[in-house]
Amino acid sequence: MHLDDRLFTDKKLYLPLLAAVLVLPWLPMGIAGPYVLRVATLTLVYMVLALGLNVVPGFTGLLDLGYVGFFGLGAYTAGLLTVHYQWSLWLVLPLAALNGAFWGILRGAPTLRLSDDYFAIVTFGFSELIILVIRNELWLTRGPMGVPGIAQPDIFGKVLDQPWQAFYLILFFLFLVLWVVVKIRSSRLGRAWFAVREDEIAAECVGVNVASYKIIAFALSAAIGALAGAFYARWFRFIHPDMFKFWESILILCLIVFGGMGSITGALLGALILIPLTELLRIVLPAELSNARYLLFGLIIVFMMRWRPAGLLPVEKE
Amino acid sequence: MLAAILDQSSLFLQQLVNGITLGSIYALIAVGYTMVYGVIQLINFAHGEIYMMGAFLSFSLLSGFFGFGLPFGLAVAVSVLVCALAGILLDVVAYRPLRRAPRLAALITAIGMSIFLQNLALLIWGGQIQSFPQNAIPALLSEPALQLGDVVISWLQVVILSTAIFLMLALHLIVHYTRIGRAMRAISQDKTAASLMGVNVDRVVSYTFAIGSGLGGVAGILVGLYYNAVYPTMGYFAGIKAFAAAVLGGIGSIPGAILGGGILGLAEVFGGGYISSSYSNGIAYAVMILVILVKPTGLFGRHLRDKA
Repeated sequence: MHLDDRLFTDKKLYLPLLAAVLVLPWLPMGIAGPYVLRVATLTLVYMVLALGLNVVPGFTGLLDLGYVGFFGLGAYTAGLLTVHYQWSLWLVLPLAALNGAFWGILRGAPTLRLSDDYFAIVTFGFSELIILVIRNELWLTRGPMGVPGIAQPDIFGKVLDQPWQAFYLILFFLFLVLWVVVKIRSSRLGRAWFAVREDEIAAECVGVNVASYKIIAFALSAAIGALAGAFYARWFRFIHPDMFKFWESILILCLIVFGGMGSITGALLGALILIPLTELLRIVLPAELSNARYLLFGLIIVFMMRWRPAGLLPVEKE
Repeated sequence: MLAAILDQSSLFLQQLVNGITLGSIYALIAVGYTMVYGVIQLINFAHGEIYMMGAFLSFSLLSGFFGFGLPFGLAVAVSVLVCALAGILLDVVAYRPLRRAPRLAALITAIGMSIFLQNLALLIWGGQIQSFPQNAIPALLSEPALQLGDVVISWLQVVILSTAIFLMLALHLIVHYTRIGRAMRAISQDKTAASLMGVNVDRVVSYTFAIGSGLGGVAGILVGLYYNAVYPTMGYFAGIKAFAAAVLGGIGSIPGAILGGGILGLAEVFGGGYISSSYSNGIAYAVMILVILVKPTGLFGRHLRDKA
């Protein structure tokens, strides 16, 4: 039985994990504490992103090269709504996710009949256009000046200004997204996606409504990306177009390629290993080398495709 | 009134000259994408990085970055040759092992190689923008070749355009009148049948990568000279635009790539001059998306193999 199926059913699996994560902020780490907590929070953000991206390439088999577009879209939706209207996180976050889903559908609808590599190119171009608009429409987004001073997350009118509160908050969202993805994966919808991934024509022939199932996948994936972006904006409190460059899309893709495309545990594991590793490299390497640390991601992608194309935790084919 | 019209028309002509120059460079890069796609149906994302390497190699050989300097002509020749070899190496090391794997695997590998090479350049040469040493390039290049009123055509622009035209003609002759060209065309029609007829597919693919990468290297050197700027991410934007040109012309079609390059160069210069300069990169993305959505075969393309 694949790990994915046991994520929420096997108490022996998830209880120790949950316990380990819950005590993390309270471990005695001295002066390293705030930093470790920041990296841990970032890792959880990327776990959410990896889960979201995984829906499209992993479940439906279509390569998405523009996921950072939805991340940026969510961050700017939430950031701007917060700055202008001071709305609560619990209003801003769903709006950002909806906006993400909307653009995900808008992007997905015309691409339904495209072949694999053309789909990849359209996703890439679309995301670059989103970021280009964010960079250039100063009246809306302040462009290269970025959006500073975004309010911190809040709950029931109380501001969550402690680092551990943000950590628990994103942990909550991670579990929410994880629950949704795991449930859908083993539902009728999930099986339809896998059918499309394995053989689109055969799926269509046995009555799977390929178009609408693909659209649902695009919307869900984009909504999760935008949700992560919305949290990120409220947590980091500053957003800038340069945070959403093409390489971020590739980094997130690398997480799921590393863990195993289509595997939920794989996506989580990819982020859990690679994101702290990136941060570690940033500290360990001298400045000129650490700028080139993406070199490692390029190599990981190439090596994985060559020798372990199914990733660390491959999903067995039934 | 008349002066204003003349001003307008000379601005237009200048833009036209600049657009054609830029377009001929895009065409040189686009040909590399389209040739590789023609034979192995792979979008070689790392092609832009080969172009970047062409610029960096010639810069290094001219400025003595590696500890020795070469005269201009020799530096250019060596850079192009190394680019061609790098193209072959890229294929042999990264893509060839995946020929029988799902197409997605090769595409993802191409992206991985692109990031790898770009960051390798960052590691070797650093991230700052570098320029060619002025005493190492022929002084003639920066002088005007032709001046009509306010419209100036520099020798460099003449060299860029004539190089591009010469190389395209040479490419046309290679593809249509040599054994290797015939083999390329055979493989792009049906790889299995070609190999059954005794075509050595791997060898032909290597030649294809060598020619495409060599042309990309030439384009890199020309752009490095034209803008007098060399930096690690230069291949990223140029690569996207050239790819858009290849898609516009119909991927797999060499005349299409040339025409697409010309159109995109003009669109970028005129769009940047008359509409908005901050969106000049966006033109390439928009063209690319629209062509794919509306007419995926482009201007000259054949019908693409459907997902099967």
